[in-house]
Amino acid sequence: MRIEKSRTLYEKLNILSDAAKYDVACTSSGTDRRGSGRGVGNCIAPGICHSFSADGRCISLLKILFSNDCVFDCKYCINRVSNDVERASFTPEEVCRLTIEFYRRNYIEGLFLSSGVLRTPAYTAELLYETLYKLRTEYHFEGYIHVKLIPGAPGELIEKTGYLADRVSVNLELPTAESLRLLAPHKTRQRILAPMRQVQLARTENKNELTLYRSAPRFVPAGQSTQMIIGATPENDYQIISVAESLYRKFELKRVFYSAFVQVNEDPLLPVLPGGPPLLREHRLYQADWLLRYYDFRADELLSERHPNFNVFLDPKCDWALSHLETFPVEVSRADYRTLLRVPGIGPRSAQRIVRARRMGTLDYDTLRRTGVVLKRAVYFITCNGRQMYPLKLDEDFILRNLLQDGKRGIPTETATYRQMSLFDDVRFADTCGLTG
Amino acid sequence: MIIFECEDSADGIFTAVYDAWASRLGHRNVRLQTRALRTRELFAEYCEVCPDGGKAEKVARTIRRRMGEESYEMIYRAAMARDDEKADSIYRVVVLGLSPQISEREAADVIWQLTDPAVCHVFELARRVWHEAHRYMGFVRFRELENGVLFSEIDAEANVLPLLGDHFADRFPNENFMICDHGHAACLVHRAAGPWCLLLDTEPDGALRHQMSANEQEMQQLWCGFCSSISIRERENARLQQQFWPLRFRKWMTENPDFR
Ligand code: SF4
Repeated sequence: MRIEKSRTLYEKLNILSDAAKYDVACTSSGTDRRGSGRGVGNCIAPGICHSFSADGRCISLLKILFSNDCVFDCKYCINRVSNDVERASFTPEEVCRLTIEFYRRNYIEGLFLSSGVLRTPAYTAELLYETLYKLRTEYHFEGYIHVKLIPGAPGELIEKTGYLADRVSVNLELPTAESLRLLAPHKTRQRILAPMRQVQLARTENKNELTLYRSAPRFVPAGQSTQMIIGATPENDYQIISVAESLYRKFELKRVFYSAFVQVNEDPLLPVLPGGPPLLREHRLYQADWLLRYYDFRADELLSERHPNFNVFLDPKCDWALSHLETFPVEVSRADYRTLLRVPGIGPRSAQRIVRARRMGTLDYDTLRRTGVVLKRAVYFITCNGRQMYPLKLDEDFILRNLLQDGKRGIPTETATYRQMSLFDDVRFADTCGLTG
Repeated sequence: MIIFECEDSADGIFTAVYDAWASRLGHRNVRLQTRALRTRELFAEYCEVCPDGGKAEKVARTIRRRMGEESYEMIYRAAMARDDEKADSIYRVVVLGLSPQISEREAADVIWQLTDPAVCHVFELARRVWHEAHRYMGFVRFRELENGVLFSEIDAEANVLPLLGDHFADRFPNENFMICDHGHAACLVHRAAGPWCLLLDTEPDGALRHQMSANEQEMQQLWCGFCSSISIRERENARLQQQFWPLRFRKWMTENPDFR
């Protein structure tokens, strides 16, 4: 039995935000909701970043654990029962007060509430539900709420919680069932997927209901997400993005997040990564994930059994283009939207703009630049009215050399390069700030 | 050449659009210019335009009806930009959109005619203004004054206050709040359960804005503590942080170590 000291709110927030920081999702995107005029808050679909922490990640939500006390013993987790760390728990009242007071000062877009397993999954889920219920009904909070579902919690609690939250998530934790068995002995793949499926079905049902009664309560309007840890277990990139792909297809997830493994525990079952967390690899996975969701790529177009990992030098889209030179150059004044999307340097927004602008007049390179096309990359792969911007060879080595010089990336090593890289197309930022394209 | 010189606001520009059009001088013989510009041309005649809510409203309605909501939104945002040519570009775009030679559908697509320099200009201004406004939606920091008012300061390049007014009034319908833009010597004021309004050429009361409510200091400490404990030490990357969170936004932000 642990002895809970009485702590100040400041101490609790310190402990419980520190314990929550390894959860990567901090986006407040996915739903548009105007205020009712009677409460506090609204939601805007692209989400809003409110600050950036010293690690360069966006702060959008008050990301905290309800409690970091946990009866489980996941090897990779700082809060596991076998660790001797300071423990604390909020009361529902405290969480509500912090959320409202931070929100009123425009520090945050809303709340991201997770928790260790306090006594049992059902007991924990009940506390989270109670907190959300208080926040929505007593404090009339209408901003964004993302809540973690606790695997093993009873179905009706999950259902009730889903009507109060904008987004819910269950962490997949690790890419394969074997890895999960090895590192998270109290969890099983099946117990993780069950609530995911329940939420998916309930959302479909809710959508039908909403077409009949527009004022019906909305169930998880911003959809569900999940996250997995990268680099703690031996899966390759191909396995990882294939898992992501099937989560998007079969479970209709809105987002899959990837979290570079940070070694917080000494454990014989965990790898030691001398270069620190595999940040560059994580970055490549996010880029590829973007391609799956918005660019109509399939996992097996990007990687294969023979080619199971992403190129450290090149982003996955350039890499794909270089190995499919036969499909280029693309004529921008005629190519359809989907073909445009496959050109390095053209994103969904610029592709849409090209399609609209060319109906109104003849395109030239200047106009292309204005639509947001990154010509530096695109020039090798396009013609505009039959002309290339400069006479350039469509040759793999030539393009590769130039693309690499452009980025001034030199020879990357895992950590060093990530820091030097130009993050022009960093998806995590683009995502939360609505700057896709 | 007659130059219609107008106030630097949506109302001012839209009134000038109305007057220039109604003057029947021919689109080629007129130019629009915002008053902040003091460079005067030697051989041009100037016509001072007084902002007129009625005329501006008519122009706004016509744009909406003929060119659609999306076009109107872009033109409106472009009118908020800090830019010398914006008024004239807006006029050219409206002339294109209202031209009797084109169909309804084409009028809605004029804003996509990026091969036209004026359209392109308006398009880019709108994008830039929205980008800045969107950032301020996140970076504005309110502090609670003794009298309960939520108070904040910014120093914006574009005139983002009207865009912020819509956003925050919807978000905090029952708060009294105020955002002062030092860059434009203007204040956005919202009263609980009321509409927001802009006060031009005002600076807030010096003493009042330093009297904090009883809770304020505690909340600021909690927030600053949160911002540092949420960062992962193994991932620290000051360059990345600065890239996303440029220094020019930080001056009045609670979690900025130089604040206070
Ligand atoms: S369940 Fe596992 S991952 Fe979650 S807090 Fe407990 S030990 Fe950590």
